[in-house]
Amino acid sequence: MRGSSKVTAMVAVGVAAALVLTGCSKKNEDAAGGGATSAASSAASSAATSGGGSSSEKVKVAFVPKLQGVPYFEAMNTGGQEAAAALGNVEWLYQGPTQADAAAQADIVRSFIQQQVDTLIVAPNDPDSMAPLLQQAKDAGIHVATSDTDAPTSVREVFVNQASAQGIGEGLTDALLDAMGGSGKYAIVSCGQTAENLNSWIEVQKAYTAEQYPDAEIVDIVYAGEDQARATQQATDLMNAHPDLTGLVGECTSSAPGVAQAVRDAGRIGQVFTVGLGTPQSMKPYLADGSSSASILWDVENLGYLTAWAGAQLAQDQSFEATNDVSDTLDAVEYDDATKTLLLGPALAITAENVDQFSY
Amino acid sequence: MSVHTDERPDPGLPAGEPPAARPTPRRRVLPSPVSGQELVLLGVIVVLWIVLAFATPAFFTAGSIQPLLVATAPIALVGIGMTIVIITGGIDVSVGAAIMVCAVLTAKLLVDAGLSLLPAVLVSMAVGAVLGLVNGVLIAYGRVHAIIITFGTANLFQWLGLQIFASKTVNGIPQTFDVFGRGVAGRTFGVPHAFLITVVIAALAWWYLRHTAGGRHFYAIGGDANAARLAGIRVQRRVLLAYVITGVLVGLGACFTIAQGTSTLDQSVGSGKELAVIAAVVIGGTSIMGGRGSVLGTLLGALLVQTVSSGVTQLGWNSNLSDLFVGVFIIIAVGADLLRERARRAR
Repeated sequence: MRGSSKVTAMVAVGVAAALVLTGCSKKNEDAAGGGATSAASSAASSAATSGGGSSSEKVKVAFVPKLQGVPYFEAMNTGGQEAAAALGNVEWLYQGPTQADAAAQADIVRSFIQQQVDTLIVAPNDPDSMAPLLQQAKDAGIHVATSDTDAPTSVREVFVNQASAQGIGEGLTDALLDAMGGSGKYAIVSCGQTAENLNSWIEVQKAYTAEQYPDAEIVDIVYAGEDQARATQQATDLMNAHPDLTGLVGECTSSAPGVAQAVRDAGRIGQVFTVGLGTPQSMKPYLADGSSSASILWDVENLGYLTAWAGAQLAQDQSFEATNDVSDTLDAVEYDDATKTLLLGPALAITAENVDQFSY
Repeated sequence: MSVHTDERPDPGLPAGEPPAARPTPRRRVLPSPVSGQELVLLGVIVVLWIVLAFATPAFFTAGSIQPLLVATAPIALVGIGMTIVIITGGIDVSVGAAIMVCAVLTAKLLVDAGLSLLPAVLVSMAVGAVLGLVNGVLIAYGRVHAIIITFGTANLFQWLGLQIFASKTVNGIPQTFDVFGRGVAGRTFGVPHAFLITVVIAALAWWYLRHTAGGRHFYAIGGDANAARLAGIRVQRRVLLAYVITGVLVGLGACFTIAQGTSTLDQSVGSGKELAVIAAVVIGGTSIMGGRGSVLGTLLGALLVQTVSSGVTQLGWNSNLSDLFVGVFIIIAVGADLLRERARRAR
């Protein structure tokens, strides 16, 4: 039996390795996605034949989020549907992978290319591997764009930007130092260490803090992944390591409530202040008891609205003005021709006063 | 009744004895209460704590040690079940997804039905038990290796959990579970409840595995399932039980996880925890081949991993270094286990 248990152990190690590898298979989607692609495309072609004729008047705008089923992108979907209803001539299609995985996302993009949508908009998990797919879409006569996260090296015609890195970074810094009284030591609990948008905000925070608040100092930056409990524990460790710490930043939607929870658990509300990029409903209890001073975000539904509107503009071959009147609430959306970027607007500070205006 | 875990011949076996009716009180042969690896682990943890206490003065304070113990609890708790599973020669890679199912269901009941503490904990444990039962039945009676089955159920549980989430985070979770949390409500006389419960359950499991026939059957199965069957052990029932125990502990661990998180639960809950739990078990000296191991080691393994993680943050080092250290610990632990196994067979 020794031999067979050895074999089992080998199998165990092999499958464990496979488990780990599938977790990080972002780059080789062409090798791995072969079978899945044909299945997806056959499903797509049957969908196209069954639903093709009815909506010939409307332009089809498809949006592929990084991940389906999370409140952030569902809120974008809500905004996109609103835009489709308001504009009248747009059919809004929304489908994303169930895990934030580049290969699964690529399959969905391919299926939309098969369906010959008019505009394809992606929030890429991996911008580099998305670029050739966007080229494919363009070759097939489809307008391509990015939203939420850019693929700067791709052939995308426009990037719908939720807020500038400058806007987010400065918004976070101002909100935190306003609570801290303009000086003191603070630390940042970030999430993915390679997340480009998070890192670009942190760079702004560093520069802006040094420039605007000479008496303030960022003592540490740690990375918790998407794990709430880990973010909370790291925030606790940071408070222990730096007894004179008076501020914490939660850089993403899982660490923003995490740092606030740590302050609440340590019983240091009013001594240590936190801000973060948290969705309004998740921050509500912390804004209420003061463990969070503010959440810096943008109106996600409006971002969805703007994305759908931009998709329709592209589909109808209309160009963007320097300032665009999109809707009642988005009456002056700026377009930068050099970077081909639509900017949603300034960052939004969510506080105890206005948190109830947001349903997500 | 034969215990695989020791090198000495088992005098409980009738083979060497004359077939006389001499009613000798049969002495049980037990492995030593604490293994070498556990002592080494304890030593490493003590040294680390001393070093950290000097390197960063705030480390050895209640405000730092208490949260560390709270964070250790869910991994160690699920690790107790995982230890039993691995002792039988199996493995359970579905615990992360099972934590997600238990956590989201319990969190929703806390929010929507306003469940109080005890019913909520019981519901979570019952759900965990059902998930464990699914694993156990498939593995014990399906005769497919545990890693394949639990790999499958991990995906099923993941799907189930996502269905329950229904594309929304669970918001506004009440503070019902604060007794298991990091805050003041989570401690009595300075001892975190979550850790205390984990230690008590670990002690019970340690006693059960060591001092009852039923407990020692797990080792026999992991050592050689066929021999165990021939010796009259109901192998399938034992194996089933191992996964159900793990499921129940997953249910309780999910409550600890909710308590340690924020008032919002998102779909990342439980993600990757199976690897953290297996790491704690392996570092604790349990042989991945089955047949040897102890829950005491697992408790120490989980404590070591969390000490490293907290230590790295408190020292201001790059967060990724904790992955490096844990990886090195796993390789050292597995290597030590293989060397011991070779030495044993060479004798």
